[in-house]
Amino acid sequence: MTTVNIITQGRRKRRPFGSQGVGTAAPYIIPALLLYGWFLLYPMLDSIRLSFYQWSGFRTETPTWVGLDNYKRLFTEDAVFPTALLNSVIWVVLSLILPTVIALLMALGLNQKIIGRNVMRAIFYIPAVFASITVAAMWRWIYNPTLGFVNQLLEAVGLESWTQSWLGDPKFALASIFVANIWQAVGFSMVLFLAGLQTVPEELMEAAKLDGANAWQRFRAVTVPALRPTTVVVIILTIINSLKVFDLVVGMTGGGPAQSTQVLALWSYTQSFTNHQFGMGGAVATVLLIVTLAIVIPYMAWSLKGEDK
Amino acid sequence: MTAIASSPQLATHTRKRPVDWTGIALWIALAVTALLWFLPLFLMFMTSVKSKADLNTSAMWALPGTWEWGNYADALDVGNFWVTAGNSLLIAAIKVPLGLAIAAACAFALARIRFRGARSLMLLIAIGSMVPIQIGLGPLFNTMLNLDLLDSKFGLILPYLAFGIPYQIFVLYGFFRGIPHELEESARIDGSGTFRIFWQIILPLAKPALAALFVLDFVATWNEYAMATTLLRSQSNWTIPLAVQGFSTQHGTDYGPLNAFIFMSAIPVLIVYLLFQRYFVQGALAGAVKG
Repeated sequence: MTTVNIITQGRRKRRPFGSQGVGTAAPYIIPALLLYGWFLLYPMLDSIRLSFYQWSGFRTETPTWVGLDNYKRLFTEDAVFPTALLNSVIWVVLSLILPTVIALLMALGLNQKIIGRNVMRAIFYIPAVFASITVAAMWRWIYNPTLGFVNQLLEAVGLESWTQSWLGDPKFALASIFVANIWQAVGFSMVLFLAGLQTVPEELMEAAKLDGANAWQRFRAVTVPALRPTTVVVIILTIINSLKVFDLVVGMTGGGPAQSTQVLALWSYTQSFTNHQFGMGGAVATVLLIVTLAIVIPYMAWSLKGEDK
Repeated sequence: MTAIASSPQLATHTRKRPVDWTGIALWIALAVTALLWFLPLFLMFMTSVKSKADLNTSAMWALPGTWEWGNYADALDVGNFWVTAGNSLLIAAIKVPLGLAIAAACAFALARIRFRGARSLMLLIAIGSMVPIQIGLGPLFNTMLNLDLLDSKFGLILPYLAFGIPYQIFVLYGFFRGIPHELEESARIDGSGTFRIFWQIILPLAKPALAALFVLDFVATWNEYAMATTLLRSQSNWTIPLAVQGFSTQHGTDYGPLNAFIFMSAIPVLIVYLLFQRYFVQGALAGAVKG
């Protein structure tokens, strides 16, 4: 972990050398700021603006100001919005538990010198490089009611009664998509945890061993504290990625059956582009933005604060 | 997974013993998990080499009656593989290096040139790196429409750049801050200007982080779906993820060629990942984890 070392050393001196001012900095930051402002920041802010209008999205029609009407409709009339909000929350919570814990266990296991660990690491990571939309297509086939692997397997072992239309039944659809998500998501978190495990101080581990600490005590007292910064990163990235979930749902159910697998990101998109209600889409997007910022800003404050000490 | 969970030994290096039962249990648990993770890939491959008739009659895990390699040829044809892969490659080949250069320049200025508002700017950009794309998709569509850049693969590069650089700036900023100032000071005494310091001192030191970001960005660009599906229309402009979606029509999905297509479309990302794997792990945490 040379990179981490460089960072620790460098932090002794915190003030950048020289004070050349905005003029010197401008050529370096202007390209990035132009792109960022034009194609990211402006669309985000415009979504908030649109949430106060009614608009079909067609250029021939001018948006009409409706004040908070879209939000009123969102929380009182829109039957899908509560499902989408709840599903997004469920997705975040489940993602923090299942894939994260599995990834940590994989990383701890693969941090040992064991036979075949490079092969195993590759197997766990490969799903992460597939496009989510292709993962969705793969798993749609695995869940196929008649020819899919899951039902075929259940039949083969005599559990015909357990066979389901996995993606066609509102009771199972979200969970079925989530299983595909676990398969795809663990690899990245595992790599982060593996990198974090390289920062566990070897001497401390040896000292604890000499003092007679058992494996669990060493894990609690040495490994866990050393992994704390990594864990924060994994948790934040997991939350962010969970709020972004879109491709998997589009590819596996499109939000159905009966909108039971809708999530905020997809519902905003559907309202804007399928239902031609850019105002309502903007309102859903604004809710999603508020949820995201409520999580991101404290993390950013924590993350950038370390630089100033 | 419970088997791994119940083995606290895994956090440490196992001691030398005649028979290390914990180690063996751990290995078996990991190997079983690895098989489980490999299973979907195996099933995909089996599907990709079976004929339609075979798929309808045999179990998904069974070996094919006849190996239907023709699915791969069909996939090239149905998915218009060379055109879509060409589009994806073209976009990635322009977007990834250009984005990294823009992000590196900006991160350098924010981290190493002192000017008013640098920190607020960094905070604004960092927040942008975490916000879901879908929030701005509607207005982004209108922006692209007004610029007459809808349904253009070169136009798509602009929002791709915008959504890629904030995270890269965030990571590189952390990295650049950590480079000791003595290096820069001595270069300045030798008469180097700001650009030389950026180009000849700071950038070479950031190679591991740049390599990691290159892999992440290449994979993300190659796989991007939400913006592509919103901003591209005509089939001649499609990227790989759109072609994958295109396999499913009203008449259902032809799973043999689809899975063949998925395998072929993952080859470039697998190559990039394997080539840069070495840097990937060490760079993955570079900007995020602090000592």
